[in-house]
Amino acid sequence: MIQTAAIAALAAVIGGVVAVSVRDSRLVALGLLLALVASPLASSPEPSALAICFRAVGALLATYLLWASARSQSIASEGSGIGAVAEIAAVGAAFAVGWFAVPVKPLAGPAAAQAAGVALVALAVVPLTGRNVLQVGTGATLLVVGISLLLQAWAGPPTSAQQIALTVLLVGLVGATSLLIAPAQQLSIAVESAAKATAATAATAVEAPEVVEVEPSPVDLPAVVVATPVRTIGIRASTKRTRRTSIPAPASPADQADTSGAAADVAPAAPDEPAAPVPAPEVPAAPRQRFAPGSPRERRLHPRDPRR
Amino acid sequence: MSLLAFLIVCAAGAAIGLVDGDSGPASGRVGRLAGLGGLLAAMLAALFIDSTTRLSFADVTLAGSEYSGRFLACAAGSGLVLSLVALASGWSDRLAPAALASFAGLAVAVTAVDPGVALAAAAAATTAGAIVLGREVAGSDSDGRLAEMRTIGLVAAVFLGASLALSHPAWNGPSASPAFVLGFCGLGIGLAVRSGAVPFHVPAVRMGLSGGRFSPALLLVWIPAGLGIVTISWSATTFGMRSDWLDAAVAAAQVVAVATIVLGALAALVHDELEEIVTYSIVADAGFVLLALAARNEAAAEPARMWLLAFIAAKTGLVAWAAAVSRAFGTSKLGRLHGWLRRTPLLGLALLAVVIATLGWPGSPVSEARSTLVQLALPGGLQFVLPAAIILSLAYTGRLLIVGLLSPATEVAAARGEMPHWGSRAAATPEPASADETGAAAGNKAAATATGTDSGPSNASVSLPAATGGPNATSRLLQRLASVWQLNRTLEASLAVVVGASVAVAIAFGGFGTSDASQFGIPLDTAARATPTPPPPPTLAVTPTPEPTLAPHSTALPTNSPGPSQSAGPSTSAAPVKTAVPVHGPGN
Repeated sequence: MIQTAAIAALAAVIGGVVAVSVRDSRLVALGLLLALVASPLASSPEPSALAICFRAVGALLATYLLWASARSQSIASEGSGIGAVAEIAAVGAAFAVGWFAVPVKPLAGPAAAQAAGVALVALAVVPLTGRNVLQVGTGATLLVVGISLLLQAWAGPPTSAQQIALTVLLVGLVGATSLLIAPAQQLSIAVESAAKATAATAATAVEAPEVVEVEPSPVDLPAVVVATPVRTIGIRASTKRTRRTSIPAPASPADQADTSGAAADVAPAAPDEPAAPVPAPEVPAAPRQRFAPGSPRERRLHPRDPRR
Repeated sequence: MSLLAFLIVCAAGAAIGLVDGDSGPASGRVGRLAGLGGLLAAMLAALFIDSTTRLSFADVTLAGSEYSGRFLACAAGSGLVLSLVALASGWSDRLAPAALASFAGLAVAVTAVDPGVALAAAAAATTAGAIVLGREVAGSDSDGRLAEMRTIGLVAAVFLGASLALSHPAWNGPSASPAFVLGFCGLGIGLAVRSGAVPFHVPAVRMGLSGGRFSPALLLVWIPAGLGIVTISWSATTFGMRSDWLDAAVAAAQVVAVATIVLGALAALVHDELEEIVTYSIVADAGFVLLALAARNEAAAEPARMWLLAFIAAKTGLVAWAAAVSRAFGTSKLGRLHGWLRRTPLLGLALLAVVIATLGWPGSPVSEARSTLVQLALPGGLQFVLPAAIILSLAYTGRLLIVGLLSPATEVAAARGEMPHWGSRAAATPEPASADETGAAAGNKAAATATGTDSGPSNASVSLPAATGGPNATSRLLQRLASVWQLNRTLEASLAVVVGASVAVAIAFGGFGTSDASQFGIPLDTAARATPTPPPPPTLAVTPTPEPTLAPHSTALPTNSPGPSQSAGPSTSAAPVKTAVPVHGPGN
């Protein structure tokens, strides 16, 4: 007969895998919710209904904080650092080790809790080494959940006081993640600058006889957009588009020779004629590519503090 | 009842402060009121926590003690003083809510009788640090937020992991000592990382530079002090066992502590930014908490408690001093602060008081505490740490004072100083702009200035209405008082710093009952003694004669306390249970 503890342990592990493997912050929050809600159930005897409700409410609050913060600031995770298949394989191996290993004899709790705890601890290692705050926060949360599962397996079911303290800790941990993934001040600057840059792009496309694709300097863009890894935080569509800002350039033969693409084909308006609205040229979308390590843009995306 | 009041006040103050702080600068006054009022109420409530305080619901039991009451009162009072300084030198929306949230967690940690609850609550208190950094860190400093997230995650994981070892499961092995070694390492690493001990000092210093002027008080003083008082509960009991691996871990902790004390003070001596000097000074003195953990001696508990109280008060005073100086002269670079002491003598007095509160006087409680910790935790060859720490502390403080006595620099000469202004002139002397304000602290200040709540150093002209008679005399008088308040921000900040430093001196010399309270532990100490310590591994050669020890006389033993190696029910008294545990010599 399949026990509730085993199902809950498996659900906690699945939630953890989802949380560290996906890029969408909503799915990250969903995975964390599953792990947080299922972990107290992997206990024998099962905790009281009040304790389960408290943990569930805490899990809902925690993941809501994360979901709301990530949604309002368009935060995305980096996803799995080693690939989803490798994550699943590693977690499966860790789960098997946790199931059959006997570090404590006799176990005070179910073996499934121990297996899930070992699996979640193993799962949290890679995210903790990342450079994405959301990813690190997710890893830290899963690590704490894994240790709490080990505590349930080795020391027995937690008392009500321990359940409350653990819930507060998890809410605090996920809340800290939601606070640190991006300050609100940063968001407002980024959104405002992105809007201005978009407007400037549209105006320039109408007025300029020729345009040159240039890399914006750090002065042109808000510090947050420049300093934040693109893979990590993005004002997704708008910011990435505005990074290729079109600005007027002085007309010179060399520039005209170097300028390529449809933008260079736009004919200058005759000075006698009234300025007619010129439709924005169709610029083929550049293929998404990662910049080579060491390139100027790469260096700018990962700035080093001169004080270090 | 007082403990419940403390928790309610902290929770309500933090919630109101956070909600109001996020709703925009126009409505920030409620948040300020909630923050200041919450800290004041929390301090008053904590003063009533003693050994008779008990809070129970379901199977949750929190018990107070004399020391936990003084500890919480000291922390809340320090937060109140720092908030008052912030009120006069650039309010931080997140400081008071973050402090209240962390104090709530620390209150549970220092009153819990269950080790698992205490460690989880201490870890939860650490997460409140994100509140102060979430808004304060400059937008470009993503590394600072990443480092703080890692710190929070690490502390949470290692403290919860340590509770695994301290819950004494039935390990399937010949000895349980590896688990205790891991537990000791976990607690030590968590404490060292949160305190910014030397291998982990870079994030702490960067946070001090970019996280706002007041964040070091929360992240490097109050929270680490709470972690420290929880951590040292097991130092002499559970971790007092004999084990080669544990001895190696203790040796590593000793090395880290010595390096932190010496190198931290050296770094404070050579740096030129006030924030860096303050941060390194805090880091250096936090090394004594690591020494208390490494001592593994019952006799180290009382000086460690005393030191933690003095540490909280003195280092908060130092953070407040640095913030007041930076605000008064618009810069925190030491090279541009020549002559600061001439313009702000009260701040000079406060700095002297902070040094006295940190180092004490020969024979004073804080001096004895530092000396005892070094003697008990370090072998004879490393006893030089104490005089080295004193000399280096005097050196960097003397450097600050000497710089203050030099001929005033441009910024200092143009600043207003501490001379009171009563509004006799319509236009006040312009003060230099605060060019060194970082990140969101400047934004908050600007927002506060826009609402008329903070004039800042650049309040060039303030028209003062005459308090003449007439139908609107009362309102004019109020306006005038408000204007006088704005004109004398430097003086107000200096007075608040002086008050905080004076309280720190009183605490360091045993005032407010701190010396007596330090003799009592927290409920966790009793619980740590009550938990069974694993029996030592059987040895073939059993010496029939007892080892000569420096243990306390048997008269100090209560009748129901058989010592850490025997299982007994937890004592109902909050008084420290002095056991016959052998006193380990230096280096053991």
